[in-house]
Amino acid sequence: MSKIMLSDDLRNYLNRLPDVELDLLLEAYERPLPEAFRVNTLKASEEKILERLKSRGYSIEPIPWARHGYVVSGGGDLGKSLEHMLGLVYIQGPVSMAPVEALDPRPGEVILDLCAAPGSKSTQIAQLLRGEGVLVANDISFDRVKALSSNLQRFGVLNCVITLVDGRKYPRFAKGFFDKVLVDAPCSSLGIISKNWGIARAWSIGIVERLSELQRRLILAAFDCLKPGGILVYSTCTLTVEENELVVNWLLENREGARVSEIRLKGLRHRPGITEYNGVRLRDEISKTMRIMPYDNWAEGFYIAKIVKEGG
Amino acid sequence: MMRLLTSAERRYLIKRLEDQHGVEDAFDDLVLIRTGQGRIRATTKETYEAACRLRRVQQVGLYVAKMVKGDVILSIEGSQLLGATITKNIIELSEEEAEEWMKAAPIKRSEKIESRYVIARCGDFYLGSGRVSRDGKIYPQVAKWRRIPEE
Repeated sequence: MSKIMLSDDLRNYLNRLPDVELDLLLEAYERPLPEAFRVNTLKASEEKILERLKSRGYSIEPIPWARHGYVVSGGGDLGKSLEHMLGLVYIQGPVSMAPVEALDPRPGEVILDLCAAPGSKSTQIAQLLRGEGVLVANDISFDRVKALSSNLQRFGVLNCVITLVDGRKYPRFAKGFFDKVLVDAPCSSLGIISKNWGIARAWSIGIVERLSELQRRLILAAFDCLKPGGILVYSTCTLTVEENELVVNWLLENREGARVSEIRLKGLRHRPGITEYNGVRLRDEISKTMRIMPYDNWAEGFYIAKIVKEGG
Repeated sequence: MMRLLTSAERRYLIKRLEDQHGVEDAFDDLVLIRTGQGRIRATTKETYEAACRLRRVQQVGLYVAKMVKGDVILSIEGSQLLGATITKNIIELSEEEAEEWMKAAPIKRSEKIESRYVIARCGDFYLGSGRVSRDGKIYPQVAKWRRIPEE
């Protein structure tokens, strides 16, 4: 088996991070991610779809933290199956389902997915809305919006609007409009290197700093789009503090009504957010955020923060 | 380009769906939107109202049908939405035929079909419209991006 090579910069960075076991991280990077999917309950009953899949030779195990989520093995390529093409299933990493579970969409709510393409989390939100309320799926890239549109169509989502807007500018016309907002921010993707080792080769602290600046603008815009009492979930699939805890800390320092809320997801192994970094002490409530290393669940690495806008 | 269907257009669509597929009062609780090339999208009233508040809207709701020379072609989701209300010009596919349908491969039927379009169904799942050709084959109207790739 070939071994992953990290640049010296990345290795040094990861070694400096508190609470990282580099050997385990490298082992996780070298393992393939588990295959997982969601059953589309907008199109048929869960039992009926699972029955179909089992009859086609797939072995299926429920994901404890994700409603309608399953890890799959055996059978053929699910991505080329009739069930996939008909939109009865949606292929998505198991930990990637966690941010929307933290957001906990309820029927009737108006929800914005600010960085939505290609649409995994948008379709998950739509599923939990059960056709009641509105999903607004936004992205900045026209090409990526095409994929988003295809996925929402395949999934059969009636109550959705797709917009093509720079997320940082969303409050200009939608301030205080949404019950909930998801920011699954563009990031340096250190949590999903096993999908593509090229991510490790392309990594640099310069990229992280540029992304961190963008993420700060996005989280602030998302927060401003919330109604009082609304809920914001900020997530990334990366491990750097600059793109995670420091972004949330920046929001807390710039918006008085922002409070970090506890996230409870059954069976998802994780560690608390980092509250001290490079000699800087962050807000204590950052420890309520969720840092998920790839070796915690032998799946994707993620960071998830749930923030409440006071005043509801 | 995106605009609400006029009441005349809406009446015509409903009439054609009744004639072609026996559907009564199709999409009656939904807002219908006309986009380019005769395409029709359906959504909820609340969603449409939200879309009116937003900027740079690219799409609203679900693509359900397309009008072509007076005929209605239903998308996979359009036919699934109408489901059991479809009573005319519907063909039942086996699992193997459904796989072929989703590869856009023509399906041969022994029975004579008078209509220009039929809806395919496989058990509880509806697979959209197919065009009936003079040679008796049915050509699935499955978008390229939606097809099962050939091995």
